[in-house]
Amino acid sequence: MGPTTDTPIGEIEAFSIGKMHIVQAGGFEIGVVRHDDNSFHAIRNRCPHKGAPLCQGSFGGTMLPSAPSELHYGLEQTVVRCPWHGYEFDLATGQGLFSNENMRVRTFPVTVRDGIAYLTGLPTQARQRGEAA
Amino acid sequence: MSTTLNEQSRPAEQQLDIIDCDVHPVIRGGMRTLYDYMPTAWSKRFQAKSTELVSVAPLTLRFQHPNGSALRQDVHAPDGGPAGSDPAQVRQHLMVENGIGCALLNCLQPGALAAALSGPEESAVLCTASNDFFLDQWHLTGSGPLRLAMSVPVQDPEAAAAEIKRLGSNPAIAAISLPLLNILMGNRYYHPIYAAAQEYALPILVHVTGADCIYQGAPVAAGGWPENYNERYVDLSQIGEANLVSLVFSGVLERFPGLKIMFVEYGFAWAVPLLWRMDRTWRSLRHETPWVLKSPFDYVRDRIRFTTQPLDEPERRAELEQLIAMLGPELLLYSSDYPHWDNDMPGETLRTLPAETRRMIFADNAKKILRL
Ligand code: FES
Repeated sequence: MGPTTDTPIGEIEAFSIGKMHIVQAGGFEIGVVRHDDNSFHAIRNRCPHKGAPLCQGSFGGTMLPSAPSELHYGLEQTVVRCPWHGYEFDLATGQGLFSNENMRVRTFPVTVRDGIAYLTGLPTQARQRGEAA
Repeated sequence: MSTTLNEQSRPAEQQLDIIDCDVHPVIRGGMRTLYDYMPTAWSKRFQAKSTELVSVAPLTLRFQHPNGSALRQDVHAPDGGPAGSDPAQVRQHLMVENGIGCALLNCLQPGALAAALSGPEESAVLCTASNDFFLDQWHLTGSGPLRLAMSVPVQDPEAAAAEIKRLGSNPAIAAISLPLLNILMGNRYYHPIYAAAQEYALPILVHVTGADCIYQGAPVAAGGWPENYNERYVDLSQIGEANLVSLVFSGVLERFPGLKIMFVEYGFAWAVPLLWRMDRTWRSLRHETPWVLKSPFDYVRDRIRFTTQPLDEPERRAELEQLIAMLGPELLLYSSDYPHWDNDMPGETLRTLPAETRRMIFADNAKKILRL
């Protein structure tokens, strides 16, 4: 991987807790979530299934695999569900959930310094070219 | 729209000049909007009944979409209305950004009303009002990129035929959207509608209306009543299968030699084994239905087409491509189903097929069946 850079995406207060925010950085659209401990997760806003704006679906938990006729809700604040065909992904890892397809969405580390959130690991070159890899 | 769409657009598709055979516009403002397109007595009646025209047929809890709506969650009209209610947005977001040069509008609101949600007289008024609304408010003239699959009040076949005669010469009409009842398509009940369709050289388009498997009078799936959305969603293709068998063995395709049928959103993967069985049955027992003059395969090749969405996705893509080769790519029509949750955008659909096959499915086949 080429050189990377830290890209500021805003003051942490600008991100309401537990909500998906979409930012532009490094030529990507990225969904960013701030948690109540002021940690962040960031995931690319493009579904690997058929290219939908993934983060414009719902964000929350889901029904865990269960015995027939039972419902168990879990993974609150973890599951990004695509607005099109409904595929579910883990916000933290980008890994597809409960599927026989091995799909993964790109995720980006977020660091916080002096009240500002930074996306890290964005490729500098792509950023310069404004490229959506 | 959000800039996400810039990430998605594929300008190369524009060379194909795609024809999209299934787009679902929504009547902006709902029932009230249609009052201007009907006699006062009827608008009074609908007002008095406090009727609303929701964007898709109201589903009972049992069959409600698991995510709350069958519409895409990432699209809303600029005025906050439902996806599909703003013509400029449909033009830009669906068509320009995906290289779609022509879209067939098929509004499901009058379809569900005609199939089951309203009475026969009510649905005749509503279908007429809806057709006139789209011709007027979506500026459909027959020369632009949008065409209408006109709605017909199927509970009154004579009224449906009259509606076809009223609008059949309008160049903006490219097909007739026939909301099915729980009466198979080969049944003589539909003859007046077929006669009118044939007279105006308009194909009959059948599509699930939203009332299927839910409301009495609408088609049902085989074997029993599904228990949830997922079961029903999968079972809906059975309605396509049963109707294809009925069309062929009833002889209705001989009775109406100009009749052409589009099966929209019922899938097509089932068609090959179904045709094998129909063909075998015809060869053995042809004499029971001697008006079936040729193999079911031949009727389908000549008169029937299937749309692609929702495209099945086998683990090995090559298997789907093999299936398309077995069916014959000349039988397939690209459809997006925009703005519904399970839509298939052209850039992500059948993209590994050879260019010539793609051209057939995405453009040329539609030109041969739609009245463009
Ligand atoms: S595009 Fe996301 S699930 Fe299909």
